[in-house]
Amino acid sequence: MELKLISSSDIAVFVDGLLKAGKVVVAPVLKQSGKVFFKPVQSFAEVATDYIQTAFSAKEVVFPKVEELFTYQHNEEGGLDIKDHLDRIPETVVWGLRPCDAAGFDYLNKFFLQENPDAYFKARYDKTTLVTMSCNKCDASCFCTSVDSHPGDTKGSDILLTAMDDKFYVEVMTEKGNILINSNSALFTSTDTLSKEAFLAKPLTHFSMDEIKDKIQNAYASVEWKQASMGCFSCGACAFACPTCTCFDIQDEGTQDHGKRVRCWDACGLSQFTKHSSGHNPRNTQTERRRQRLMHKFKYSVENLGVVSCVGCGRCIRVCPSHLNIFENIQSVTK
Amino acid sequence: MDTNQYIPYQVRIADIIDEAPLVRTYKLEFTDPSANFTFKAGQFAEYGVFGEGESTFCIASSPTREGYIECTFRSSGRVTKALSNCEINDIIGLRGPFGKPFPIEEWYGKDIVFITGGIGLPPLRCVIWNVLDQREKFGKVSIYYGARTVADLVYKEELENWKNRPDVDLFLTVDPGGETKDWKDNVGFVPTIIEQNLPSSKNAIAIVAGPPILIKMSMPILAKCGFANDKIFTTLENRMKCGVGKCGHCTVGKTYVCKDGPVFTYEEVLQMPQEY
Repeated sequence: MELKLISSSDIAVFVDGLLKAGKVVVAPVLKQSGKVFFKPVQSFAEVATDYIQTAFSAKEVVFPKVEELFTYQHNEEGGLDIKDHLDRIPETVVWGLRPCDAAGFDYLNKFFLQENPDAYFKARYDKTTLVTMSCNKCDASCFCTSVDSHPGDTKGSDILLTAMDDKFYVEVMTEKGNILINSNSALFTSTDTLSKEAFLAKPLTHFSMDEIKDKIQNAYASVEWKQASMGCFSCGACAFACPTCTCFDIQDEGTQDHGKRVRCWDACGLSQFTKHSSGHNPRNTQTERRRQRLMHKFKYSVENLGVVSCVGCGRCIRVCPSHLNIFENIQSVTK
Repeated sequence: MDTNQYIPYQVRIADIIDEAPLVRTYKLEFTDPSANFTFKAGQFAEYGVFGEGESTFCIASSPTREGYIECTFRSSGRVTKALSNCEINDIIGLRGPFGKPFPIEEWYGKDIVFITGGIGLPPLRCVIWNVLDQREKFGKVSIYYGARTVADLVYKEELENWKNRPDVDLFLTVDPGGETKDWKDNVGFVPTIIEQNLPSSKNAIAIVAGPPILIKMSMPILAKCGFANDKIFTTLENRMKCGVGKCGHCTVGKTYVCKDGPVFTYEEVLQMPQEY
């Protein structure tokens, strides 16, 4: 790991340099609604710097909301020309994501590549560099410290920046991170290890992960699931905002002769998600669907991949129109 | 990364057989002779009509019959409706084979009891022909099959064939009221017919597929016959999209039906939450 410093005033020079070098830079941008979203930017001037959390995670960069799997076109031999377009994916830098989101990428990486590697995710992930920004503030929905993370966590990041007064402390974690720094190395100076503690937010710890991991073993039959799912509209917003939700649908757009096949985000909380064409629905009630969502994050993920698939970003809590709260629910069902 | 599991093979519909109301069998040939598609009994595929989408069903032909595959499906949703409107020589998409097959090699020397109903026969037909094509490797073979009505029985010609074979015991039945005037076989639900015949569980394997109610009603009778739960096999059919353990639709607890199954022993099924 390389340790560097960069002065706050040079950050804009660095980011604009990446843009000039032809990279796509996806960064937090303040919208008129007052919410901050990840968007490709043309200049550092567009980048929001004062925000707790973006409304959606940056997972779209490696797992787009709607992703073309291939195009197909009728050919003269009576068959179809089928092509994916993985060669069109640009070099991308995600700028200013939070450590929880970077931890989300770490999970996505395990999920998509550990078994039956996913060609689309891999193509995008390989071309993506993550420049994470430590959190200097948080809100009541943040709970990263409950899920094995913290506001200065380097997990999943290629580079972690921590604002320290008039400069940024730069932890370069990977080769991808090195390449990015070396693209304008004159802006950086080397440093010894510095303590980040004084510059980091202090989120509340709501629960002990060790205790949850233990008690969730018997949580399936809990009577609390009903309460934990009451009010759920089955809107799927929690899954769409989540940095680790990976469920998708596959749809065709076009005619029999030409068009494309796409995959698009889906959500286990939606009532049609598991419905058979016979009408039979294995998870027929919202209680069963809410249980699936939480059991997947805290139990099934651990069994399949060895990690909890919740990073404590709090987006599902902020976005829920019915004020369902994952850290309250997970505690009630494991009481 | 050399494989992209979302790019389908292109297959030509070489033959169409109308099996029963809304149920058709397609014989499919690969347009690319170098496709080198091999599979094992119990695996499934994603069949796609371009512009409409993909639908999941088992490969209904036996891997012992090379050069083509067959699928049998009921027209019920958007994709299967579009699929049933296809004609001979149309090109459709095919992805697969996916999933864990039946452990047929472990059954050599054993009696095999097949139990199924209605549109549950196609996933077992693959295994039945796989067994019958190497008949000498297995003990007694019995098939319990029923449908709501005589018209709903699929593979009618093959049922005749099995009935006439001295090395197969076929117990054919239709639900009460589903019989025709010249129906000579059983009338009654499949579990009732099993109970009347009580197949021996000694050195035997039972394979059950079909509507959930058939599975549910057959299990106590198989237990009565002495079949241990790990000697009973079934194939689960949850909704699927990707077929490779990613899209999340088919999960039952931590289990992905697509990659951990679709073939499970009844013992394995009993460990899962009842979300199938």
